[in-house]
Amino acid sequence: MKKLLLAGAALATAFMAAAPLPTQAQAKDSSLVYGSVLPKGLDPHTVYDVTVQQVALNAYDGLFRYEGNPPKLEPWLAESYEASADALTWTVKLKPGVTFHDGSPLNADDVVYSFKRLLGLGQGPSGAFKPVLKAENVTKIDDLTVQFVLDKPYAPFLSALPLVAIVNEDLVKANTSGDDWGSAWLSTHEAGSGAYMIDPATYRPQENIDMTRYADHFMGWDHNKAPLEKLHSQGVSETSTRVLALLHGDIDLTDSYLPTDQVERVEKADGVHVEKNQSMRIMLIRMNNTKPPFDNKNFRKCLSHAFNYDGFITVMLKNLAIRNAGPIPNNLWGAPADLEPYAFDMAQAKAECDAAKAEGAPIDRKIEIGIMSEYTQSTQAAQILQSGMRKLGLNLEIVPSTWAQLTTQAQQASTTPDMWVHWVSTYFVDPENWIGQMYDSQFHGTWKASSWYQNDKVDELLRAARAETDQAKRATLYEEADRIIVDDAADIWIYNTVDLSGISDRVKGYKFSPVGSGIEMRWVSVD
Amino acid sequence: MWRFVLRRILLMIPVLFGLLLLTFTMLQLIPTDPAAALAGDNATVEQIEAIREQFGYNDPVVVQFWTYLKQVSHGDFGVSVYSMRPIGADIAQRLPATIELTFVALILAGVGGIVIGTLAAVWHNSAFDHIVRVLSVAGLAVAAFWFAIMLQVLFAMDLNWLPLRGRLAVGIAGPPHVTGFYLIDSLIAGDFGLFWQSLRYLTLPAVTLSLGGLATIARFTRSAIVETMQRDFVAYEQAVGFPKWRIVLPYVLRNSLVTPITQIGLLFGSMISGAVVVESIFDWPGLGSYLVQVIFAADYRAILAVTLVIGVIYALVNIAVDLVHTWVDPRVSEHM
Repeated sequence: MKKLLLAGAALATAFMAAAPLPTQAQAKDSSLVYGSVLPKGLDPHTVYDVTVQQVALNAYDGLFRYEGNPPKLEPWLAESYEASADALTWTVKLKPGVTFHDGSPLNADDVVYSFKRLLGLGQGPSGAFKPVLKAENVTKIDDLTVQFVLDKPYAPFLSALPLVAIVNEDLVKANTSGDDWGSAWLSTHEAGSGAYMIDPATYRPQENIDMTRYADHFMGWDHNKAPLEKLHSQGVSETSTRVLALLHGDIDLTDSYLPTDQVERVEKADGVHVEKNQSMRIMLIRMNNTKPPFDNKNFRKCLSHAFNYDGFITVMLKNLAIRNAGPIPNNLWGAPADLEPYAFDMAQAKAECDAAKAEGAPIDRKIEIGIMSEYTQSTQAAQILQSGMRKLGLNLEIVPSTWAQLTTQAQQASTTPDMWVHWVSTYFVDPENWIGQMYDSQFHGTWKASSWYQNDKVDELLRAARAETDQAKRATLYEEADRIIVDDAADIWIYNTVDLSGISDRVKGYKFSPVGSGIEMRWVSVD
Repeated sequence: MWRFVLRRILLMIPVLFGLLLLTFTMLQLIPTDPAAALAGDNATVEQIEAIREQFGYNDPVVVQFWTYLKQVSHGDFGVSVYSMRPIGADIAQRLPATIELTFVALILAGVGGIVIGTLAAVWHNSAFDHIVRVLSVAGLAVAAFWFAIMLQVLFAMDLNWLPLRGRLAVGIAGPPHVTGFYLIDSLIAGDFGLFWQSLRYLTLPAVTLSLGGLATIARFTRSAIVETMQRDFVAYEQAVGFPKWRIVLPYVLRNSLVTPITQIGLLFGSMISGAVVVESIFDWPGLGSYLVQVIFAADYRAILAVTLVIGVIYALVNIAVDLVHTWVDPRVSEHM
């Protein structure tokens, strides 16, 4: 028996100590391992979230692209554009000589097909265009010119164009079955022209995406003398594993949502550091303005003063977030620079609540706040509010939920919870993405407008801003609307996000942009 | 015996129907709209409505269930609103990883538990026995995610003996697909290096997953053997002068294994649910982590399909366990 045990122990030791792990093996070649949650599919016309940007920005190109921070809208596949005086007709000229990964030329037909496909599928980013653009109004003028005719003036049109990846029409059509627009095929393959090509043979959904550099990319490679030849994206779902993998050298780069309590740990370790970049992602606590006592402005103001912003941002988030007064991110035009955010002030809160009570608002009823179980921070924010409200004698119950469930409830005013915590990220860089879609009553029924805020003056301002093409005039309109909404205390706005990515010191040239959170890889090289 | 197997397999059908009905009803009670999840973050109200119509979410619940049953009976699980792929393809891709993980964990738990339990019983009331008793209680109480992270920190980070996460090293392709089990496929391909690597990547997740089962089986084996040791035939054999190990190994053990083997069948269920946690922490690309994702995406059809597949496997494992019973204890087969 003893012999057997010894043999077993010897075998186990041999097994464990065998050959050092290939963790640093990638250092030899010019490749990088990115560890994050991977997108649910590869089709940029059906998937629309932060994770799919690694596909959209690397494997595909759009007519325009956001670069830098604060993001600047650059013509990308487009060489130039022209808008008619009434802002209804937009003509975009394409750069000549652009090729897809299969070598075929990218021309106006592909652009027209991409928009028809997007609108035909009616998923993903199509929501930004559906209200103003019909598929038949996207037409080819010549091989390198495309014309869009909008149903009504829509100033954010240009800033939404980067949302649309241009796909290879012939390739997608060859892989279409029935009326699926090739979506089954495109969810596991790519048909793009971007700086990196996805290898479909090693693609395993949510587990692994391998990309290889596309040497013939139309932007050329002069901007980067030693570009990455290969990019491996690995699905890492747990934060603790992601941090361990970064410290261990298994991955070179994490997504930009490193929790603030992990920052110190990464910064202390050798060979890795944290990239901190102010983004455009607003955290707020939603209030259902239709449900008493939330229909009372004094009550909403009371809660706005009862949240300990400082405690939350400096202590819990270790100052890795920036206080934001209203719905428009501080670092975007349209946000009034002098607008004072609500201060944490219990005396003021008590006065407002007393006023609300005097007006007959049922402030003593049990109030429910929905949090997303998948985001710890949403619970923390709810708890901060809870402790402030308890001091006022108010009863707040925290109800665990999920994103899918809360957005479903937000489809109707009666089912929308009293309050819920969420973020509004950068889908496109225009105040329309925040204030426009959050407080114009025409968006009621979408999660973004789930405070069910209704103010005719605000509707008027936001609609005027949408129809106006002069940015200076639009900024004035948005600033006015922003002041009214903040004075109405429609919601409790907390902060604008600082994106936090764990990154290996061997990675050079990392460039952050709030759109895509720094995942555009054509800038990057490795030591 | 074959009649027994056939009967058990036929009995699976009403059980699985009940399982589907129960899961379907429960999913209806959750106020989540898969159409909204599918339409994306910037969807308009009209868009969500159009998708709801397209996927049949507006039909009466009974109609939806009937349509679903018809589909499933043809082996078609539908298209996932989460991945846009056929759910069958998603499951086929992920199921082998989970089965491989679970079976290795089951073997670890079974063999390890029986060996440890036997030794503890033989050295009844020794220090070893006491340690095993304490550890087996601890093994049941310890949270899998905590144990997993401790193993990662010790064996992957500090000692650098075993890989931290994943199923294979980054950039290494799996073996040519035959069974989907990397351990078996790499042997079929004759690639021993890959077999070795797969085994190393499998070790920490499998050990984590086996912990609870190991503790359970060790305890059951120990108490069963201690009980059997007090039977008359043991006393007789001792009197005749058989050495202790000759009594324990063939006779006592065989008489004591019925309870632990029953446990293995039951444990399989808890292991599948444990795999949800273990797969997430070790990035093991199996059905458990898929289930988490489709639940968050409110992908009803995928949730139903995963439930059904796990139900089938669970039922099959329990049939297999019953067959092993008859082999260990032929008296059982008389009841078949």
